[in-house]
Amino acid sequence: MLEILLYGAVTSAVYALLAIGFTLVFGVARVLNLAHGSFYALGAYLTFAFGTRLGLPLFAAGPCAVIAVAGFGVVVERVFVRPLRRSPLAVLLITLAVALLVEQGLFLVFGSEVRNVPAFVAANVSIAHVDLGGQRVLAFVVSLALLAALRTFLLGTRNGAAILAVAQDPEGAQSVGIDPNRTFSLVMALSAGLAAAAGVLVSPFLTVQPTMGLLPMIKAFSIVILGGLGSIPGTLLAALALGYSETAVAYLTSGSYTELVSLVAILLTLVLRPSGFLGARAAM
Amino acid sequence: MRTTVIGLQFLLAAVIGMSAPGQAAPAAAGAPIRIGITTPMQLAVGRDSQDGAQLAIDEINAKGGVLGRRLEMVVADETENPETGITAVKKLTSDEKVDVLVGGYSSGVTLAQLPHISTAKTIYLGIGAASPAITAKVKTDNENYKYIFRVNPLNSKWLAASLVDFVVNFVGAEKGLKKIAIVGESAKWVQDLVPALKKGIVDGGSQVPLAEFFDVQTSDFSPLFSKVRASGAEFLVVIVSHASSDVLVKQWYDARVPIPIGGIDVKSQDPDFFGRVGGKAIGETVLVGFLRAAVTPKTIPFWDAFVKRFQRNPVYTAGGAYDAIHLYAEAAARAKTIEAGPVIKELEKTDMVGTAGRIAFDDTHDLRYGPGYAQVMFVQWQEGGKRAIVWPKERADGKFVLPAMAKK
Repeated sequence: MLEILLYGAVTSAVYALLAIGFTLVFGVARVLNLAHGSFYALGAYLTFAFGTRLGLPLFAAGPCAVIAVAGFGVVVERVFVRPLRRSPLAVLLITLAVALLVEQGLFLVFGSEVRNVPAFVAANVSIAHVDLGGQRVLAFVVSLALLAALRTFLLGTRNGAAILAVAQDPEGAQSVGIDPNRTFSLVMALSAGLAAAAGVLVSPFLTVQPTMGLLPMIKAFSIVILGGLGSIPGTLLAALALGYSETAVAYLTSGSYTELVSLVAILLTLVLRPSGFLGARAAM
Repeated sequence: MRTTVIGLQFLLAAVIGMSAPGQAAPAAAGAPIRIGITTPMQLAVGRDSQDGAQLAIDEINAKGGVLGRRLEMVVADETENPETGITAVKKLTSDEKVDVLVGGYSSGVTLAQLPHISTAKTIYLGIGAASPAITAKVKTDNENYKYIFRVNPLNSKWLAASLVDFVVNFVGAEKGLKKIAIVGESAKWVQDLVPALKKGIVDGGSQVPLAEFFDVQTSDFSPLFSKVRASGAEFLVVIVSHASSDVLVKQWYDARVPIPIGGIDVKSQDPDFFGRVGGKAIGETVLVGFLRAAVTPKTIPFWDAFVKRFQRNPVYTAGGAYDAIHLYAEAAARAKTIEAGPVIKELEKTDMVGTAGRIAFDDTHDLRYGPGYAQVMFVQWQEGGKRAIVWPKERADGKFVLPAMAKK
């Protein structure tokens, strides 16, 4: 039981980090960004590139990767998404194209082999006889810290307030002098950076390979539907629910069923409560 | 009018010439014998299938080819997707008109290709996939499926027998570890293998307190390890091919699972696996069909020639492709033709020393198994990425070392 509690906490924290940017982008710009998983994959690969290929210390390589991916997020927004913002379908397609482009790019540059990112923390951490591995503890702590920092940013700064204002009422925000394009660029940078951070944190104990972005993308999507599109508290709640139910399913039944949990969650939500836990309106 | 006809003839000749580039003036008389390689080109197994084949083709061509004809290779990417696999076979047989097919990796892909190989009436030499179902139809529907042979690897039934032998006679009898947990990916070949394995281990006097499958997409193995620990197991048998065995091994090491691990871990057969997981495979003992050891007089010369030419260590399909091409060339030479019927008759009589053991076929055209024929080894990753053969006894060249975290 204690294992479910501890491992579930790690999974939930990483899921929250992954999904929160996805929901922010939707909340602010009404954009379903299918390239979100690519940010996660790029985070992991750039850590590998900076750390292993260029020989930077890992604690420098990780943050560098996050910053680089945040920059990439801004480029994606400026170059691909902004010209097409009026058509949700076109945006959906262009973000899918970006996702495929990144995947193929990773194949070309790094090949199909699984790459190894060494653990940031090699030490073993045991909590009440449960061996967690230092990297998982680090992933948990850093995820929580980043989420707390995001909260402070949104609630305590002018830029954060601008983001919340645009999310609530784009026209209203514009009429009081907030530039929606600038706000959206900022949100894309945040969203990409947070997804990349999730990728960086888990890469030492998960797989680093070109297709690694797909599954996290599905997870982020399920969490956001479960929590209610655009709702930050809903996303956190759903991340917790999904993280724990997957871990519980794996421990109590079999690992063969974990990947079903998120899909069942999407189906049930869409059928029973299309607005999700805390969504203001129906998801679709 | 006359000039038009001549012009047309000229044009026609030019078009024909263009459609067959590189065929002009073969060194040996007659058109080249075309060898179609169908393999997942993105993967190491696929790259090495091509390079192993190339090595054999160059050796044979250097000696004047077969029946006075050169060999040449055409490659198609079958990926790990059955649909693409079928397209690859169709491309090679109908468009490229190859004389023989060599390849395979994923059993699901090969099984999907079989009917199309049969329709094309082209000999197929399997060098990568292990499902027994692949050659089963050779016996039940010989007329249509006589074209199928497996040169490499041993089928999963024999892999299971080898694994039972290792678990019972080495892990149990020699090392005294008699409680065995089995975990494998949810894939057809594993689901076929696990019941036989379980029965064999129990019949051999050990216990199986836990047998579990996990999804090939699984990225978090901690629940599984915790169940294995709770089961009281003393040795953990893993069976993985397509799933992320890199992640499995890393998490086994990180969680300090105090139980030695071993079994069939296809990616752990790669010579560079140890480096890829940052050395965390230390202590893992895996079934290996092919490595640089004096298994046959051909093994080390082939291995070294491969490394010299391609600057990397080969994986098992390299040896398989190399052997397959040589045995096809020998069979065609004996048959004095490349027509499928007579060549099949000669292939059935094959008794050749290959790079991984003696190659002979049983009545389903499957590679024979056992002492004196093809056999596999159990090899442990040790300090610094060294590989020690620990089983079978007559091949052993090192001592089994209990992983540090398993020491009580």
